[in-house]
Amino acid sequence: MSNDNVQMSNLILCGGGRMGSIKIFTKAKCPKCPAVKEIGTELKKEGVSVFSYDLDTIEGLAEASFYSVLSTPSVIIQDEEEREIMSWRGVVPSLQELKHYLFGSTS
Amino acid sequence: MSTVIEMKGDRRELKEDVETTDMALFVRTSDEAMYDWDRQRIVNALLRETYVDLGTASEIAREVEELIATSKIKMITAPLIRELVDTKLIERGLEQARKMHTRLGMPLYDVDQLILHPNKENANVPHGPEATNLTLAERIKKEYALLAVFSQEVADAHMRGDIHLHDLGFVDRPYCSGQSLEFIKRFGLSLPNSIAMAKPARHPEVLLAHMVKFAAALQSHFAGAIGWDSVNLFFAPYLVGMSDPELEQLAQMMIFEFSQQAVARGGQAIFTDLNLYWEIPKHFEDVPAIGPGGVMTGKTYSGYMKEAQRFAWALFDVYQQGDGSGRPFFFPKPLVHITEKFFQTPDHMDFLHHICDVASEKGNTYFVFDRGETAKISECCRLSFKLDQTDFEDAKQPWKMRYCALQNVTLNLPRIAYLAKGEDTKLFSKIAEFIEIAVKAHLEKKLFIEKLLSLGEKGPLSLLAMNRDGSPYLRMHRASFLIGMVGLNELVQIHTGEEMHQSKQAFKFGLKVIAHMKLLIDKFSQRHGMRFVLEQTPAESTAYRFAKLDLKYHSPKSGYIVKGDISRGEVYYTNSTYLNNAAVMNPIERVRQEGLFHPLIEAGALTHIWLGEVRPSKASISNFVIKTFQRTQNDQIAFSPEFTTCNVCNRTTRGLRRACAYCGSEDVDGITRITGYFTKISSWNKGKIGELRNRYRNQAFLEETEEGVVLKAG
Repeated sequence: MSNDNVQMSNLILCGGGRMGSIKIFTKAKCPKCPAVKEIGTELKKEGVSVFSYDLDTIEGLAEASFYSVLSTPSVIIQDEEEREIMSWRGVVPSLQELKHYLFGSTS
Repeated sequence: MSTVIEMKGDRRELKEDVETTDMALFVRTSDEAMYDWDRQRIVNALLRETYVDLGTASEIAREVEELIATSKIKMITAPLIRELVDTKLIERGLEQARKMHTRLGMPLYDVDQLILHPNKENANVPHGPEATNLTLAERIKKEYALLAVFSQEVADAHMRGDIHLHDLGFVDRPYCSGQSLEFIKRFGLSLPNSIAMAKPARHPEVLLAHMVKFAAALQSHFAGAIGWDSVNLFFAPYLVGMSDPELEQLAQMMIFEFSQQAVARGGQAIFTDLNLYWEIPKHFEDVPAIGPGGVMTGKTYSGYMKEAQRFAWALFDVYQQGDGSGRPFFFPKPLVHITEKFFQTPDHMDFLHHICDVASEKGNTYFVFDRGETAKISECCRLSFKLDQTDFEDAKQPWKMRYCALQNVTLNLPRIAYLAKGEDTKLFSKIAEFIEIAVKAHLEKKLFIEKLLSLGEKGPLSLLAMNRDGSPYLRMHRASFLIGMVGLNELVQIHTGEEMHQSKQAFKFGLKVIAHMKLLIDKFSQRHGMRFVLEQTPAESTAYRFAKLDLKYHSPKSGYIVKGDISRGEVYYTNSTYLNNAAVMNPIERVRQEGLFHPLIEAGALTHIWLGEVRPSKASISNFVIKTFQRTQNDQIAFSPEFTTCNVCNRTTRGLRRACAYCGSEDVDGITRITGYFTKISSWNKGKIGELRNRYRNQAFLEETEEGVVLKAG
């Protein structure tokens, strides 16, 4: 039974070139979180809808629970219908990786 | 002291001598002696029990004496005198003194009812003289708790039904307890106040006897469940070389011993949890094993996997057969831990099929999911927690692994929503207020228990104070303080207009409420240096009590919200964070959605899969269990079939029926899970009966195939 940190849930939508959104889950005291926040800011500049959640807040913890996010930092990419395309839980993906799933190919 | 006063001779003669307190009255005391009337006794009681001054006390005594003398009462009882004194205290505005002078007890009518009719607050209490004793004692201790242990603010919140303080009748005990067999294996059965001391057991049957007796001793020191960690593993060193029939015999003894403890406290079976593992849990792999006579065997527990597995298998053989009339065993409850390592252990699929067969046939199996690399142990009830570094140190000496929850306080969530009138800010601040009261209740109970424990091995909690390994049996620094909830679904319904299963927004709102609660209790834990944790309250009677109280205080709105049948009085709120019991949804989806709450509810959680009379194949149940482990965050699941057992021919059939399928007798009992355990339905309270009528039994997701009935798992 593997419990991979990286899960692929809907391959059909991946690489279709359609723009989804990205959810970022962080906490105040979490060593790897600043790196993910930085990536979020970067993607925002490129016009991606980025939603950030802090697990120390009610909204953040509720949203994290809804997506079974148990560790920080975590990143989830969704399509327009809020279906999960790809997620990284407790790990920091590279900007390139994220773009690959967001835009369909590496830019 | 209870006293009865009788008149001697003609009362008119007495009246003249009133002032001299020489009334010719007999006072019959509870120590079975007769004393003459003595006004001074009232004075003494007032001075002893309250802070009133001598002058006031004497004045009151005189007034009461006059009242008695001038009245035409033929028999004067002590409670009456006390009440008369109390009225005099109230007349003078001495409310605090009145409270201190209160008599605890019950009206004659109530005692009569109680002796004649069964108690339905807890379906695990049978009806008989022992049970009546328990209930009578509980009533007095409950009153004592609300007057003397808890502050008025907390007591009032309980009485109003904002919160529910569980097991008030057991206020002088902690709530539940989890331990390891290693304690009795190492120290034998040596209990304070016991007339004989037994050395560590040398034979498996003796170890079992020690375990059962110790469990009974623990039951009389805790209000609720008594849990045992890794039972099959810790028994294993005693089982080397035993044949299959011998092992089966031992397994049978264990289950029957725990299921027939109807001679213990109040005639109640001990609420026993047996935690079982197919693998050797990682934290016990390198731990030296204790064998017969309390001696280290020279091997570690890794060397006993075969025996541990054979014993676990034999236990489930017994569960599968059921009791003498084919009924499922109500206790002990077997909790099998499904972990990453479970799936790496040889023959795990065979064992999984075996326990799934039992789950389908009799329903006993609880599947506890411990995901990831974190080790977890189950304490009691559903209380489990992740092991930290100090626990790993304790695990090297497993007899130290003793845990408890000190108390359980449940919040009435729908009440909060009625009060908030649709305003978010009000709702969230009310939740904080209710939690604050619950925390206060915990602090007060902790103080009280600490007071009892401070009296040591000579005190009332001698068993918990006993020190065999450098620390008392009850390790207060490892205690948990439970904060439960009832009716999240109804809170969401009142506040948003939709139940949680009806929309994503409603569901997410439910998550927000629990997230808020979790963040708050974490803050309180830090502030007080105590471990407050959220728990899914089993709420056997609380879900009914809250619904009834809200019908009284929040009508007409509550009339549209409570579940069940108002005309029959069978009303309830949905338990804890559960989705509506009646909602038609795919069971695996229910397990997934309810499971999203579980990581926030540290003290453990459970999803029920109601089966009705259908018996799904073991393969499909296994598949369901694996999917639950892999694809959800759900902590624990249990499958609950229903049975009808005949009191005439003693045979058991599947499903709930009006008459026995074999002999046609209508003298039958229905059996299924009330909350976290099986019982006869005849013992259920009205709220749970209402829930039973509503339970969705997954009919649309059970499919007839060539291999039998299949429970669909998505």
